Amino acid sequence: MALKIEKTFQVQEPIEQVWEFLSDPRKVAVCVPGAKITEQVDEKTYKGAIRVKVGPSITDYTGEVQIVRSDAQSHEIEILGKGQDVRGRGSASMNMTGKLQALSNGGTEVTSVSEVNVVGILAQMGSRVISEVSNIMFEEFARNFQVRLKQPTAPAQAQEGTAGEPKPISATSLAWEATKGLFRGGS
Amino acid sequence: MIQQTSPEVGGMGHPIKRKEDLRFIQGKGNYVDDVHLPGMVYGHMVRSPYAHARLKSVKTEKAKKLPGVLAVITGEDLAKANLAWMPTLSYDKQMVLATGKVLFQSQEVAFVVAEDRYTAADAAELVEVEYEELPVLVDPNKALDPGAPVLREDREQKNNHIFHWEVGDKQGTDQVFQKAAVKAKVRAFFPRCHPAPLETCGCVADFNRATNKLTVYMTSQAPHAHRTVFALVGGIPEQNIRVISPDIGGGFGNKVPVYPGYVCAIVASLTLGVPVKWIETRSENLQSTGFARDYHMTAEIAADRDGKMQALRVKTLADHGAFNAAAQPTKFPAGLFSICTGSYELPTAFCEVDGVYTNKAPGGIAYRCSFRVTEAAYLIERVVDVLAQELKIDPAELRRRNFIPAAKFPYQSPLGWTYDSGNYEAAMKLALDKIGYPQLRREQEEKRKKGELMGIGISSFTEIVGAGPAHTFDILGIKMFDSCEIRIHPTGKAITRMGTKSQGQGHETTYAQIVAQELGIPAADVTVEEGDTDTAPYGLGTYASRSTPTSGAATAIAARKIREKAKKIAAYLLECSENDLEWEPGKFYVKGTPSKAKTIQEIAFAAYTNIPPGLEAGLEAVDYYDPPNLTFPFGTYVCVVDLDKGTGEVKVRRFVAVDDCGNIINPMIVEGQIHGGLTEGLAIAFMQQIDYDESGNVQGGSFMDYLLPTAVETPHWETDKTCTPSPHHPFGAKGVGESPNVGSPAAFVNAVVDALSHLGVRHIDMPITPWKVWNILKEKGVTG
Repeated sequence: MALKIEKTFQVQEPIEQVWEFLSDPRKVAVCVPGAKITEQVDEKTYKGAIRVKVGPSITDYTGEVQIVRSDAQSHEIEILGKGQDVRGRGSASMNMTGKLQALSNGGTEVTSVSEVNVVGILAQMGSRVISEVSNIMFEEFARNFQVRLKQPTAPAQAQEGTAGEPKPISATSLAWEATKGLFRGGS
Repeated sequence: MIQQTSPEVGGMGHPIKRKEDLRFIQGKGNYVDDVHLPGMVYGHMVRSPYAHARLKSVKTEKAKKLPGVLAVITGEDLAKANLAWMPTLSYDKQMVLATGKVLFQSQEVAFVVAEDRYTAADAAELVEVEYEELPVLVDPNKALDPGAPVLREDREQKNNHIFHWEVGDKQGTDQVFQKAAVKAKVRAFFPRCHPAPLETCGCVADFNRATNKLTVYMTSQAPHAHRTVFALVGGIPEQNIRVISPDIGGGFGNKVPVYPGYVCAIVASLTLGVPVKWIETRSENLQSTGFARDYHMTAEIAADRDGKMQALRVKTLADHGAFNAAAQPTKFPAGLFSICTGSYELPTAFCEVDGVYTNKAPGGIAYRCSFRVTEAAYLIERVVDVLAQELKIDPAELRRRNFIPAAKFPYQSPLGWTYDSGNYEAAMKLALDKIGYPQLRREQEEKRKKGELMGIGISSFTEIVGAGPAHTFDILGIKMFDSCEIRIHPTGKAITRMGTKSQGQGHETTYAQIVAQELGIPAADVTVEEGDTDTAPYGLGTYASRSTPTSGAATAIAARKIREKAKKIAAYLLECSENDLEWEPGKFYVKGTPSKAKTIQEIAFAAYTNIPPGLEAGLEAVDYYDPPNLTFPFGTYVCVVDLDKGTGEVKVRRFVAVDDCGNIINPMIVEGQIHGGLTEGLAIAFMQQIDYDESGNVQGGSFMDYLLPTAVETPHWETDKTCTPSPHHPFGAKGVGESPNVGSPAAFVNAVVDALSHLGVRHIDMPITPWKVWNILKEKGVTG
C-alpha cells in the first residue's frame, strides 16, 4: 500500500537553526512517535526502530535510515527509511523529502513530502486507517519537532536519540482521531 | 403429481417448521468449537505478511520456550514426513506450511500448539520468520506477460498458466459473428468475494494412541470425501479415520476444501497424542480460505435486427490465486460455466476459459453456486441487457423472443447440456405481472423527464445443479453419486442417514418429509442423521444444490425399496396376494376393501416380530443414487431501484423473485433459502469484494472492509413460484438453495444500469458502491 503524505508547518526559529536540527537523523528520530536511533553505521546511515500501535496491533519495525541527499544550500534533505517488523508482520518504507524556507517574520516553514509503502498486517487496515495513522503521527512529529527546537538542553539521552523504550502513539487516542477523520472526510 | 399427505404426516409440500431450529434458536447447537475433549490443546497459525517472499529462516526457539507451548511445527518439519504439500481438489497441490517461499498474504507458515488458545496466539508472535520480498503479481491480466514473475517454481511449466478450456463450435460461431447484423458486447468482472459463513472453519483432531484411531471433528461439507483425502495423504488406514461434521454454521462452498489448519491439527495430535483444536479467526477465514468468482469475462452476442439471437462468444480469464484449489468436478476446470447460454435458444456458441496463478489466496470455490453457474448466469443476463439497449428493444420483450420454448424440452444446448425441463416465459410473465412492469416503465419515463433516476432490472436465469451423473462427474476420481440409508424401527419410527451434510439447509426436516411422503411415517417420527463417517453411507456431501437431486432422490428410492418389502409383509398379514394390494401413504389395503389394511407401523412391527417365512427380518434399505442427468431450476427476478443523485446511493425499492425448482418438499424452507440467497446476492452486487492492493495486501480481510448485509440494508423480498417438475428426478424436484444467489446479481446490476442507460451507461462492475455511482453521475454531469 503506497501513500503520499504532504505536510507543512511553521516554526519561530530561524532557518539555520532548524536546518541544523533537521539534517541530523538522531535529532529528528526522537520527534517521530515511537521511533529511536539505535546505532550509527556511517556518516549517512543509521540503524533504528519504530513501534506503531494501531488498535490491538503492535508493529515493531527495525531497519535503516539513510540520508540520500542533503543540501545545506537549498535546505533540502531526502531521507530513506526501511524496516521489517521483528515478529514478521510485514515491512514499511518511507522516502521523505524535507524542505525549509525562511519566512519574513524570521521563522521557518517546514515542508515534507513522504512516500510511505506498507506491506503486511498494518496495510490490511486499508488506506483510510493508514492515512489517518500517518496524519496523526505527522501531527505529533510536528509538535515534538517544535518542542525540541525550543529545548536545545533537553536530556542528553534524548538528544542522542537513544531513548530507551519509545512511546508509541496511544491506541485510544488513535482510534478516536481515526474515527473523527472518517467523518471529517476529504483529508 | 405428488399425492398429498395429511399435515400430521407432513410429507411433501407441507410448510412444517424446521426440526433443527429448536436447538439452534436456544443456543444449543453443537458446533466444532463446542467440542471439548479431556486433555485438549490448541493450535494457532503463523501467517505470512507478504504476498510473495522467499522464506529465509523460521526460528521457533523463543516460541518453544514460552511456558505452555507444546510444539511448533514448520514447513520443514512437515517436509520430513512428506506432508509439506497436499493435493487440492483440482489436481494441483498446495503448501500445508510454507517451504521455500510464500505465495499469498496470510499463507500458513508455522503452527503453534499450546495448552490454551491465548498462549498459542502469544507464542505465534514469538516465531521469528525472515523473509526476502519478491515481486508481486496481483493483476491476472499480467500473469502471462513475458516479464511476469513465475510464482510456482515447483511446477515443470515455468509460467503462471494453469489451464485452457474451451467448449462449443469456434469456427461456426466466428462465422455467424462475421455476418451478424447486430452485435452486443460486455466486459464484466465478477469480483472476488467470500462466502463468509458465520462460523469460521476449524477442527478438533483426536488421535488415540491406544486404539490407533483418528477422530476429526471438523467444519466439513463433505465428511466422507475428506476422510478419503486424509487416508490417501496421511497414509492412515481409512477404517481408522472417523470424520464427524457436527452442526455447521453456514458453508456456502467455503467448507468444501481441505485447509492446512486441519492437516496441522491432525499432525499435531498424531505427534502429541492429545486432542488438538484449531479454530480460525474471522480475518483468517476471509484472507486464506476458499474465495469465490474472480472471473474476468467478455461476452459477445450476435443477433438479427429483430433481436433473434444467433450466437454467443465468451472469453474468460480466471484468477485462481496461488494454488488451483477450486473445488470442482475433474472434467470441468471452469466448472459448469458452459451453462452460459442461459435460458436462450442460441443456435451456436463458443466459450473459452484460461486459468492463471496470482499472489492471492487459493480457492475458486462455488459460493452458493453449482460450480461457476453464478458467473455464467450473471454474464448472459448482462449481455442480453446490453443487446436490448443496442437494439432499443425492451429487455423483457427481447428475452421473450429468445427463450427456449416450453415445447422444446428436453433441450440440447450448443455447449453440450441437456436441459431437463423448463417454462421460462411463464415464470417471467408471473414476475412481470406481479411487479406491474408496464406501469413501472411509464413511471420511469415520467421520472426521467423530471431528472429522477429509477431503473428496472430483469434476470431470467437458468441453473444447472445436482452433480452429477457418474459418467461425467467425479471429484478426485470419486463419482458424484449420493446416498441414503433408512432403518425402520419395530415401533414404526425411523432413522435415515445420508451422504450429504446440512450446513443450515434444513435437511433434518426435508429428508424426513421425503420419508413421510414415500412411507407415510410422520416426518416427526423420522430422525435424520448426517456428518458421521462411521455411521453414514458414503457420499460426496452438500454443495452445488446437489442434496435434493442426489440424496433426496436416494431417500425416495430407499423408501420405495422398503415399501416393496413392506408390501410382502402386508400380503402375509392380510393373507392375500401382493397383486391385490393398493398403497396410500401410510398403509396397504386390499383393493376394493379399504377396511382390510395394514399400516406401515403394523408392518414395521411385524418385520421384527412376525416375519413372513422366507423373508429376512428387519425393514431397512440403502440407496446409492446416480442421477441420469442434472436438474435445471430457473426463474425470473425483477428489481426496481431508485438512485440518489446527490450521494450515488442505490435503494432497492422492490424485488420480485419467481422461482421454479420443480416439486417442492417444504415451501417454507424454500422461501427461507430464497430470502437468504437474495440477501447474499444483494451484498455481492453492492457491498462486497476481497480486493488486493499492488503489494498484494488484502483489502477486504475483516468485517470492517468486507461488509455483511444486515436487516437494515436488506429490502423486502416478494417471492412466488411456478412449478415445472424435473422429468427424471424420482419426485420431480430440482434443488433451490443457490438459485437466488445465482440469479439475483444480474437483476441488481441490470436495474442500476437501466437507471443510467439513457446517459449512455452500458455496464458497471460489482460491487456497485455509492462512490462508483456518484463518480458516474459526476462524469455524466448529473451531479455537481
